[in-house]
Amino acid sequence: MALVPTLTISDSTTFSDVINFSVTDSLTTSAPSRSLSMEIVTTTGGDHVIVPSGTSIVYLFVRHTGTTDGTTGTAQLLDIEDTDNVAIARLGAGEWAFFPWHKAGADKGVQLQSASGNIQTEYAFWTKG
Amino acid sequence: MATTTATVSITSSDLTPGSALSVNASSTLMKAGLTTGLNQMESGVMDIPTSIEFRLGPLATQAGPVADDTHDIGSYLYICNKSTDNTYWVDWGIHETMMGRLYAGDWMFIPWNASDDNAEIEIEANTGTNNIEWAFFNSTVALPTAAS
Repeated sequence: MALVPTLTISDSTTFSDVINFSVTDSLTTSAPSRSLSMEIVTTTGGDHVIVPSGTSIVYLFVRHTGTTDGTTGTAQLLDIEDTDNVAIARLGAGEWAFFPWHKAGADKGVQLQSASGNIQTEYAFWTKG
Repeated sequence: MATTTATVSITSSDLTPGSALSVNASSTLMKAGLTTGLNQMESGVMDIPTSIEFRLGPLATQAGPVADDTHDIGSYLYICNKSTDNTYWVDWGIHETMMGRLYAGDWMFIPWNASDDNAEIEIEANTGTNNIEWAFFNSTVALPTAAS
């Protein structure tokens, strides 16, 4: 099973040189995986474990939808952290992250936590095959 | 106005039988907590040998070209392992905490903040000399305080 993630970064107004590059990967994946999912994230990270504890390499996608429920906007920050509450990244409204998660043999998962209030969040993960 | 855009596409034709995967998301990169675009960038390419930890980007208290311009700022981090040998990989982490592993060809993109000198991004190769491409996009605006 092949997963093809592509990143494109572009900017034609900020710097004297136009930025426009794209990278594509082809990843072999295996179980477990979680296809695109939606969760209302609260301020309690332990209630929102999106990657179960394990020792495999996991490719993780997370997106802050910018809303609390699909309708009401929110600018609260969304923390991505491991299940020991160690911070990995912090998303603002509308931002996303994609990265390979791995804790070098430590049996840890990934959880989400809102700085305040609820944040509707998209996520998906795939285990490296 | 500065407009830096990051777009991700994640596709698969065979991951779930009968249901092709096609995830797309785009984000205009803004100064932390604001609706204005970024105005700083730092990027590079380097070969890193095994068993040495390398720091990407500045430390939080490291002064920039402007007085009091330290680097406790919101950033967006891109790293790609451009190595072509599939047995090569680098571990990436924040300070001494490993967070993930980039095999040859793998890339990552995350928002990141050098909140203090113990929050720097580190990479370390474990097999062979890996060719790493990286970039930070950021501004001089500090991140707003968030929950612990």
